[in-house]
Amino acid sequence: MQGIAQIQDDLLKRVGESQDPRAVLKDPEYRGLYSKISSLDPSERGAYGKAVNDLKIVVEAAIEERVSQLEDLTVETIDVTAPWDDNAAQVELLRTEQGTQHPLTKEMEVVIDIFTRMGFAAYESRQIDDDFHMFGSLNFPENHPARDGYDTFRTEEGFIPPAHTSTMQNRILKEGKAKLEAGGQIAGISYGRVFRNEDVDATHEHTFYQCEGVFVSETANLSEMLGTLRSFFEVYYGQKLKIKTQPGYFPFVEPGLEFAIEKPASLGGKPGEWLEMLGCGMIHPNVLRAADIDPTKYRGFAWGGGIERLVMLKYGIEDLRHFESGKLAFLRKFVS
Amino acid sequence: MIVSVNWLKKFVDFDLPIDELTTLIGARLVEIEKVVDLTPKYKDVLIVRVVECAPLEGTDHLNLTKIDDGGVVEGVERDDKGLVQVVCGAPNVHADMLAAWLPPTSTVPESYNDSEPFVLTAKNLRGTVSNGMLASAKELDLFDDHTGILEIDKEVPAGSSLATVYGLDDYLLDIENKSLTHRPDTFGIIGFAREVAAILGKTFVTPEWLANTEPTYGDKNGDIATPKITIEDPSLSAKYLSVVLSGASADRHSPLEIQTLLSRVGVRPINAVVDVTNYLMMLTGQPLHAFDYDKLVALSGGEADIRVRVGKDKELLELLDGRTVELTPDDIVIAAGETAIGLAGAMGGANTVIDKDTKNIIIESATFNLYKLRSTQMRHGIFSEAITRFTKGQPADLAAPVLADAVELIEQWAGAKRVSDVAVSVSESPAPVNLNISAEFINAVLGTSYSLKDIRSTLESVEFAVVEKSATELFVAPPYWRADIHIPEDIVEEIGRIKGFDEIAPTLATRDFTAVRPSGFDELRQQVRRLLVRAGANEVLTYSFVHGDLMKKAGQSVEGSYQIINSISPDLQYYRQSLTPSLLNVVNSNAKQGYEQFALFELNKTHQKIRGLDEEQVPIEDTLLALTITSRKTKKTAAYYDAKKYLDYVADMLGLELEYSAMETAPGYSISAPFEYRRSAMVKEKNSGVYLGIVGEYTNTTSRAFKLPVSSAGFEIDAHGLYEATLKTGHTYSPLSRFPGTSRDICFQVNKNISYDSIMSAAKTAIKNTELLVDVTPLDIYQDATLETKNVTIRVQLTSYQKTLASSDVDETIAVIVGVVTEKTHATVL
Repeated sequence: MQGIAQIQDDLLKRVGESQDPRAVLKDPEYRGLYSKISSLDPSERGAYGKAVNDLKIVVEAAIEERVSQLEDLTVETIDVTAPWDDNAAQVELLRTEQGTQHPLTKEMEVVIDIFTRMGFAAYESRQIDDDFHMFGSLNFPENHPARDGYDTFRTEEGFIPPAHTSTMQNRILKEGKAKLEAGGQIAGISYGRVFRNEDVDATHEHTFYQCEGVFVSETANLSEMLGTLRSFFEVYYGQKLKIKTQPGYFPFVEPGLEFAIEKPASLGGKPGEWLEMLGCGMIHPNVLRAADIDPTKYRGFAWGGGIERLVMLKYGIEDLRHFESGKLAFLRKFVS
Repeated sequence: MIVSVNWLKKFVDFDLPIDELTTLIGARLVEIEKVVDLTPKYKDVLIVRVVECAPLEGTDHLNLTKIDDGGVVEGVERDDKGLVQVVCGAPNVHADMLAAWLPPTSTVPESYNDSEPFVLTAKNLRGTVSNGMLASAKELDLFDDHTGILEIDKEVPAGSSLATVYGLDDYLLDIENKSLTHRPDTFGIIGFAREVAAILGKTFVTPEWLANTEPTYGDKNGDIATPKITIEDPSLSAKYLSVVLSGASADRHSPLEIQTLLSRVGVRPINAVVDVTNYLMMLTGQPLHAFDYDKLVALSGGEADIRVRVGKDKELLELLDGRTVELTPDDIVIAAGETAIGLAGAMGGANTVIDKDTKNIIIESATFNLYKLRSTQMRHGIFSEAITRFTKGQPADLAAPVLADAVELIEQWAGAKRVSDVAVSVSESPAPVNLNISAEFINAVLGTSYSLKDIRSTLESVEFAVVEKSATELFVAPPYWRADIHIPEDIVEEIGRIKGFDEIAPTLATRDFTAVRPSGFDELRQQVRRLLVRAGANEVLTYSFVHGDLMKKAGQSVEGSYQIINSISPDLQYYRQSLTPSLLNVVNSNAKQGYEQFALFELNKTHQKIRGLDEEQVPIEDTLLALTITSRKTKKTAAYYDAKKYLDYVADMLGLELEYSAMETAPGYSISAPFEYRRSAMVKEKNSGVYLGIVGEYTNTTSRAFKLPVSSAGFEIDAHGLYEATLKTGHTYSPLSRFPGTSRDICFQVNKNISYDSIMSAAKTAIKNTELLVDVTPLDIYQDATLETKNVTIRVQLTSYQKTLASSDVDETIAVIVGVVTEKTHATVL
């Protein structure tokens, strides 16, 4: 083993001085280490093999470092202020036909556009947040079993990659409080990326996009919520739609509902085929209280749904994993 | 959870098609994930009487039986008495028993869902014809018992259908537990049936034994001291009851009907005592636990001294499933004296397990702090039927009636006798919930017009106590099992749901006309996306979390990232600090797909620890714009200029002017880490002075690590900075001139180290004070490799507002430009 340490030092020294450090691996001294294995007593082979392997790792790392070092010497500076390189033709942009916008950001723009036209201000959702905004302010006490449904990631510091865009609800309510109390209403949507700690397959993603909405006034009610949501989907699909609901439990609303629309003809829907679109409900008094809004004077409704679903239905996309794959074969199908 | 429709029918009488039932339950209680129809699986199974049974000659364990099927099955060979011959190998087969028979052509239920189900025939066994088979519980897919054939324990005529007698003509409704997180009562079949009754408009009365929270326990037949119970902290358990029974036999089984019911809803039948605890849990939602009394007493020093306390640090407990867990002060523990004998609500301990030698048992019926149990569940990974129910918050009042019924059933099914008084320890009695509700309030929240009478009868249908307080107001008290009702909004939900939310007519909110405009930043981002798309780039979205290796490949240090600690995938370890590594990560795979030349960009958020927290104490988020442009074609020119072209184009279109500065050393930011500083520039917006980011080629290490095509470069800039710059600059417009303009080209020869920008800046300084409209653009940059100089040709476009420019006017301006440029750059004009 003494010999190996000696050989290692020797090889490292040579790597450090070589203009072609990879050649060191072809050195007979190095290769001889391997050919020696078969001549050893089987009981010694294990330890010896490990020592040789350790040496190999060290030498290879040194070679990589030396290669980078040599390569680094050859880097030439350029005139970074020039519009193009010396003696070169002017630089052209790529052909405009090959440019595409991502289908999710495009669809999000459509959704935001409809809601802003309906009078809802748009807020981008955070991608890292705290327990208070993700859960506490939304009537999920510590260790509440309803937290299980969200499969949240956590950081070392206890921050949470939000599992729903409702993480913005308390902020929207707080911001709108003054306007509400001056006789106005709170109308806002939050949109953006959310995260769930799930295994990925064709129908499950750990990263996806949501849009959530809140409306608060002195007279908001569940009938208005159903009307607002139906109205959005009718504009979005450009046709009259039937809706249906089923009870759903979300701690931040009471009552809480799941909302479905009859599959629109534009998507090849037939009567009696339903699409579950989102969860919704009347904002729980504790959620209003958390934003310092008096629940005996004001009421509100809120909803939230995924964007991927809209896009997948629209184009007939079969696999959720395409969205974040960065595959040009996929992206270039969405010609702007 | 699985709900058996036939079990429901024991409590509510209905007869509507299954799809109508599930639609109504879906609309008014909970979504049903799946319906399993058991009918076809059991349609051919008959109960038969074994009339004759004798060993089959020439075999050591087979019996030849003659069975009476009441003559029900057609096309089967019979003897002169009409009996059918079946060969059976089960040790427990005997004459005059009732057994389950699978006739020829029927399918073995156990194989029903197999790709090739096993269909029976009349086959020849050692020269003897056997028609179908007598089946075990396992072959019938009832439960896991294959020690012998199933013995029918009901006296029914031969030829009866097994399915009809035992309710196997059933539908099983599969419901996701988390959909009913808020409704502990529906985790018992009685509670679920109550809801179904209300939905169907049927009256429902909770069985008397369950409604009575102060039950009697029947006769005591022994004299064992009442167990001592100590709840050490009232917040751990609101109520704990316990009683001792003697003489339960571990060999006794519960009625077959109960065994099939339990196994249908996913619980394995064990023996009568265990089955009683499980049966009552599935029936009412209240879990029970049975300990071996003598083992418990031995642990607590001669008397039953039960303590409910928190776990001690490093305290170990071996559970029933053989696992040893390390307890924490966040766990609730059941102890006998000092020794832990159970993880409360989750699982009993191995030291008090009931086995074949057990003579006396002690039954626990209690309720525990649901939040603590949930943390126990997560910490120890225990997802039993019991803890699932406990963590929904079973009410304390449920404990006594269920215990009383358990005592009765254990006496009946297991032959045990109650030998102690029932010990009760109550630490907290929840204040009764009483709510005043007006029709006006309910209608205001729902947007409906239900009458007070209507509301009253709806609430009464689910057994709320309702008193009319005035002509407009009701006084409402929910039954004890409705632990979910606390506030008036809960009553609103009850009314809206049972009456049907779909009966509510949608309307629109009354709103004013004020228009809302998207935020300026949103508009800018839209514009940037459009611009880059127009320039042939493709927008991608990549994950916000990355593997540490990805950052290392890009020369970034993982220490600067917020780390995800509970990811199920190693690819999602860290918040990314910049977008470029994610972009580079998808370049090679696309290039390999044959895309020769392409540009990818992403506009998204990034997070770095170094940016700190905002006033809400949450991490500051950045929004960055990154682009990478890459080509597999070997080009003689630097890729840097391809990326710069894109950045200049975006800036131009937004009315911004960028300044590019070379770097002396690598700047050490995570955003600049993938970039080769000698072939990159820092970018600043000139007029606003806003720093934007970096543009350039990637380091050799990064290029190699990501296997980038030969010509690759990109930029990453701060989108908020870009927005700030547009706010500070805005578009500049100068009126058009009526006069034609004229242009001149000037070629400057400078030392090769003079930057292009120093020539352009000088030229622009020179024309600052002229009254003419002047535009300077580059035409050509030429350098002969053998010389120390380079030639930069620019085009100067001149226009006057006053007149058509004469040659002399032009000469004058050109002279000024030449003067300043030559002075500042020591150029000579060619």
